[in-house]
Amino acid sequence: MEMQDTTYDKSEYVETASGNKVSRKTVLCGSQNIVLQGKVIIQSDAIIRGDLANVRTGRYCIISKEAVIRPPYKQFSKGVAFFPMTIGDHVYVGERSAVSAAIIGSYVYIGKNVVIGRRCVLKDCCIIEDNAIIAPETIIPPFTRYGGSPGMEVGSVPECQQDLMIDFTRSYYQHFVPARIL
Amino acid sequence: MSYIILPDVVHYACTCGILKPISKLYFCRHCLELRCGFCVCHEADSHYCDKCAENLPSSEARLKKNRCGNCFDCPSCHQQLSTRAATVGPKNPDDPKAAPRKVFYLLCLLCRWSSRDVGIPDQAAVSGGWPERENIYAHRLQEIQDMYKAIVLSDKQQKLDKDKKKQRRYMSFTDRTGITASMLRKRIGWPDVPNPLLKAKPTELNNKAIAKEEVEEFPEDLLTSPVNLSLATTMEQRLVQPEWQPTTIDKLFPIHKHLSVKRSQRCRSCEHNVSKPEYNPNSIKFKIQLFAYYHIPEVRIITVEPLRAGKVSELLLKFSNPTQHQTSITLFPYKVDDVIACEDNRTEVISQSSEEKGSGSQPSSITHTSLTRQPSITIKPRPIKTRVVADVVVPNASFVLPPRDDAAEYDDSGDAHNIQNDPKIVVWRKSNKAVIKLQVTPNSDLNIGDEVTTAFTIQHIYINTITTVENKEPQKCEHKVKVFLTLGNLVGGS
Amino acid sequence: MTSENNINVMPGAIVCEESKLDGDITIGSHCIIHPAAIISAEAGPIILGDFCLVEEQAKIIHRLRPEQTNNETTPVLIIGSHNVFEIGCTVEAAKIGSNNVFESKCFVSNKVNVTNGCIIGAGCKLIEEQTLKNNTIVYGSKCFQREGLDRPVTQTAQMDTLSKMLPNYHHIRRPMKKDYLN
Repeated sequence: MEMQDTTYDKSEYVETASGNKVSRKTVLCGSQNIVLQGKVIIQSDAIIRGDLANVRTGRYCIISKEAVIRPPYKQFSKGVAFFPMTIGDHVYVGERSAVSAAIIGSYVYIGKNVVIGRRCVLKDCCIIEDNAIIAPETIIPPFTRYGGSPGMEVGSVPECQQDLMIDFTRSYYQHFVPARIL
Repeated sequence: MSYIILPDVVHYACTCGILKPISKLYFCRHCLELRCGFCVCHEADSHYCDKCAENLPSSEARLKKNRCGNCFDCPSCHQQLSTRAATVGPKNPDDPKAAPRKVFYLLCLLCRWSSRDVGIPDQAAVSGGWPERENIYAHRLQEIQDMYKAIVLSDKQQKLDKDKKKQRRYMSFTDRTGITASMLRKRIGWPDVPNPLLKAKPTELNNKAIAKEEVEEFPEDLLTSPVNLSLATTMEQRLVQPEWQPTTIDKLFPIHKHLSVKRSQRCRSCEHNVSKPEYNPNSIKFKIQLFAYYHIPEVRIITVEPLRAGKVSELLLKFSNPTQHQTSITLFPYKVDDVIACEDNRTEVISQSSEEKGSGSQPSSITHTSLTRQPSITIKPRPIKTRVVADVVVPNASFVLPPRDDAAEYDDSGDAHNIQNDPKIVVWRKSNKAVIKLQVTPNSDLNIGDEVTTAFTIQHIYINTITTVENKEPQKCEHKVKVFLTLGNLVGGS
Repeated sequence: MTSENNINVMPGAIVCEESKLDGDITIGSHCIIHPAAIISAEAGPIILGDFCLVEEQAKIIHRLRPEQTNNETTPVLIIGSHNVFEIGCTVEAAKIGSNNVFESKCFVSNKVNVTNGCIIGAGCKLIEEQTLKNNTIVYGSKCFQREGLDRPVTQTAQMDTLSKMLPNYHHIRRPMKKDYLN
């Protein structure tokens, strides 16, 4: 099916020069540490904790409503430090998901209500189904589909996933239009 | 988006008759046919561990029973185990200058199981050094395996001897001179190596399994002692380790992690690869990627008016051209008896290959010496089972789709193509995409709530860029694909 | 049901202004409350012990059990020390001990009695009436329970780092002065 238009209230969103559309109702802590590469959509009530460590997203990322992006911490002998978090290009994070991964690759689809444990590594082209709970420090290999609680491998992903995600995120961005007042 | 989460509504018919969405199909450029997962041979290219992303050569993988040597899974929740460090104070309390050592233990971060729970001592090395358990029946299983291997080998030898009926034309060294190889060896002083053909006699097992009449006595305290279920393992925990099958949780040991496989796909009829991934486990690129998504025009449903039995509804479809060449699309109506008739040659091939296999098609783990490819099985195309309950009025004219242009998203100058359109058919155009309007009529004998499926055939001009010795230019060919659309449920009766 | 907010913050606690605190709440010393946390004292006062960590989207709600609506005395929810409430958890338990960890997106209903040292895994939903023994670990979608060897590691290292980082990026509620207590 072709993507339908998702409308938003124009006064609620700020559009930057590089095409990022960020809602004003988000909780962006430490915004100077958050780098959005371009054409990124951050919907209302999302929380990005840039105050803990740097957060870097790639192009065409979509962070849905009420999602939480939080850099993980690592315990060293001399104390605790928060790790910077990198998210690749063309990543979709579903609503109400809590993502504490260390690295998220490109072309990743994360469903709704997902818990990604701390310091997980999600490699490129993987799919995390809705309501999955991924244990901390799991390494998810490319082209796998994880689901369930605890998150186990439930299937494989078609090889053209890269193009499918590029197409999906691009058309989502194109169809994310301000609501027209009639 | 639909290929990831939503149910598939647009299916293409593969040459074997199975309907699949375009994301799951391959396109063989040599046979110019669509192939699905069942029409291709899956081959394991390389083995790698999910966690440490280390490639293992296939012989080593077989030796380690397809398990990684360094990574472990939690026996109680089957998640990945991580290694944690703990510091141990100086060993001798008299010598406070000794530096505190680091010791490592395994911990599961989901259920908090740790290697200390079963009593495995902490290791001094980060990886490796974890004690391996020996199965008490391993020796007996190996004996039985060896016996069967010998039987299979002797069977093979017997077959070879039967086939070797033809006489040799030339005289051997022994016939001319009368000296055998073993005599020569004795003369030189080398030890005598017996003829390998003579050795292949199946050895009988020393101790065969004997059935016993007597059974252990029933322990009476099973009936009286209180049961503590938290100490018993669950069936999943037991069966995931079939060699040991622990019944109590204090015998749950960490399991070596299963290896994953990178697989390449090969078309069964022409033996060419349709998909070959790269060797590096972290890479998502492909050496050969002949996916249908990149060669066949993609059809997407934009909207469909509510369907009523016997009445005409409007259907908007979006066609997009993924190739680098311009293509022209013509639609044809779908005929049920349009199935490709299978050639008689194919059936002969099937019967021959099934005879040859015989004992050789047994699981190759026993006698596998090298990676031999199984002979391919050609599959007879089967008729498509889906019932088509709606008719589509197909336009007479064909429409042109320009080639895909990746730079077009950055170019705001607009479409430079001036294509003559029939405005009744083509509603909207943008670079390599076009939206077509069609009329669909569900059959009048359907009930409300029935699912409506319709189908038509697309003919598109495919430019084959493979150059052979005979023709150095890319060839144009017309390729037909059957497309099935699930349009939803009927809302009104006639 | 208190309509006015009576929030007492002990010295040493870091409570971000963006968290939502409703009702009569006392926050122990050296606690850390992240932004977007929700603590709601509907049915009576909540007393949060020392060294507790409440992360984003966590909800601590003091709700009355249906059969207790006619009681004269208002019940007080006393939460022990060194508890960790991770992202998105919903805790409505009637009694909470010390050294517990409530992982992401878990749900604990008000019929559950949580003692000491328990770990409620991510995504677990405890609905039925039960008392968790000390050091119980609950995990998985079916809420399997295991007996842990000892209580979970305290998060003091993380909390030290957070107490240094958070004041740089957030407005912190002013704790009560020490003289006031004497």
